[in-house]
Amino acid sequence: MTTIPTDAPVLERLSSGIPGLDTVLGGGFFRSGVYILHGLPGSGKTIFANQLCFRHVAGGGTAVYVTLLAESHSRMLQHIRTLRFFDEKAIPERLTYLSAFHQLETGGLKGLVELLRREMRARSASVLVLDGLVAAAEMAQSDSELKRFVHELQTSAVFHGCTAFLLTSGSPQRVNAEHTMVDGILELEDRLSDVRADRSIQVRKFRGGAALRGKHGMRIGDGGIEVFPRIEALFDAPPAEIRPEGALSSGIDTLDALIAVGGYGDASSTVVIGSSGTGKTTFGLQFLARSSPAEPGLMFGFFESAPRLRAKARSIGLDLETLEAQGALTLAWHAQGEHLIDELGHRLLELVAERGVRRLVIDGMSGFFEAAIHAERTGRFFSCLTNELRRRGVTALITLETRDAVGSMVSTPFGVSAFVDNLLFLRFVEARGEVKRLMSITKMRDSDFDPGVRAVEIGAAGLRIAGRYLAGGDVIPSAEPLGPGDSSVPGRAGDPP
Amino acid sequence: MKTILVVDDELANADLLCLLLEEEGYRAHSAVNGRQGLERLTDVRPQLVILDYMMPVMNGAEMGRAMRASDATRGIRILMNSSLPEEAVRKQFSGYDAFLRKPYGIDEALRVIARLLG
Repeated sequence: MTTIPTDAPVLERLSSGIPGLDTVLGGGFFRSGVYILHGLPGSGKTIFANQLCFRHVAGGGTAVYVTLLAESHSRMLQHIRTLRFFDEKAIPERLTYLSAFHQLETGGLKGLVELLRREMRARSASVLVLDGLVAAAEMAQSDSELKRFVHELQTSAVFHGCTAFLLTSGSPQRVNAEHTMVDGILELEDRLSDVRADRSIQVRKFRGGAALRGKHGMRIGDGGIEVFPRIEALFDAPPAEIRPEGALSSGIDTLDALIAVGGYGDASSTVVIGSSGTGKTTFGLQFLARSSPAEPGLMFGFFESAPRLRAKARSIGLDLETLEAQGALTLAWHAQGEHLIDELGHRLLELVAERGVRRLVIDGMSGFFEAAIHAERTGRFFSCLTNELRRRGVTALITLETRDAVGSMVSTPFGVSAFVDNLLFLRFVEARGEVKRLMSITKMRDSDFDPGVRAVEIGAAGLRIAGRYLAGGDVIPSAEPLGPGDSSVPGRAGDPP
Repeated sequence: MKTILVVDDELANADLLCLLLEEEGYRAHSAVNGRQGLERLTDVRPQLVILDYMMPVMNGAEMGRAMRASDATRGIRILMNSSLPEEAVRKQFSGYDAFLRKPYGIDEALRVIARLLG
């Protein structure tokens, strides 16, 4: 008696070749499965399927791309030739393009499935794409005939170890007969949100695994399709509650002196909130100036380019260029445009992972808010993003601009206070014909701190927290200054001059 | 030409397997359960039976035991296959010559078949 070692019924996965999508699928498609890829014309189905084929053959597989529609292969190849995944050398040995239009016309679905089966076998195809399922569905005399077609295709796919993708633009609202049969359904969408186009992908059905549910942002660029799993869906588990053991210097000795642990708590998130010009970015530069090869820094900014930041730092005596040359600091600037909020989140986390970032400045939070098509997501988005940063041991300083230039009331938008560990509040105050900058620490999650209102001085030697601010008679009461006799500093001896 | 009988209640499976076997130069027939399989043995006279385990009317274990109990069919090779682990099948019937766990690839199946009929 012979036993063939096929006793491990673990379903093998097949990479989609589409960055981000395997994460949504929990590791890729299941080998030998049959999947429907649904989307209206222009939603990216053809690029999706071609990218999958080219990436698959680049990894050593063999693919067959079968069309049932009128578009000629040469025309389709012309269109995808410009995309970076295209590799002419892969055609026709590893990737073959065939038209099955004639077989469908003459032999119906039986003729079509026979052709697909023969091609799978003859070419040892590990991926098969059938572009134009809608044409096959129109040829079916009944739902049961179409179901039989899908069933026979599934049987062949299993025997040949081939994963099949059926592309269709039929109505997604209707429950189609073939939808009940296949192993998974993916839907591509390209919708308008006000004037902005919003591409997304949704896994509507996925047998055998838990895909990340809901819609995920998608971009089609020179490299093809990229998917950005929703940050709050991907990182929805809160990290284990870890009390920080130490702190990272804020880069401002006079600020560290106000905080019992001597800086921002390790792996904490600090939001510096204030109106334009109050010095938020300078707080960030001071923090990054303490980066080192052992404690790499990252500026993830939206509003000031790297040359401007370097010049700004230089003007207050900070040398960023040397840190950059040492590989201790990265300045990543995202000029304002039509970003996707999840794309930004993933870019940030990729940079953090690549550079081993410990000191992070996001300048500012509104760069993310402006990228959000669904504003109601941003609170949960940031909460999950900062949790993930904490899990990765990153200490983050995030600037947040308020609209009120001078005033005592500042609201923290988008649930900021819920996810932030530490909050620094910057504002202007008019006193005796001068405008002064003030700072107060309003929250430190894991440390005692001096809650007093302090003057902030920015000069050639950097940013310095000066003594307590004492109100004059003509001050706009934005700072709610303390009385002259109050000078206690909880948890820490000494008071900066 | 060697003759193979495929006994499987999943028709698409049986039909496709027959088609593939014929392309490989075998003569192939099918039956949808163990009882029909036993009936076909006399007219088909196969050298190999590819036998599914879970089937209605008469399952693969029952057919296998019946084949081994009869002088006329005792010598026919049996390739048992099932989506269940082999241990579960072997408890019911252990008189087969080879076992394949479903789903299996056709190339693997053809290698086993060639060896059993070699």
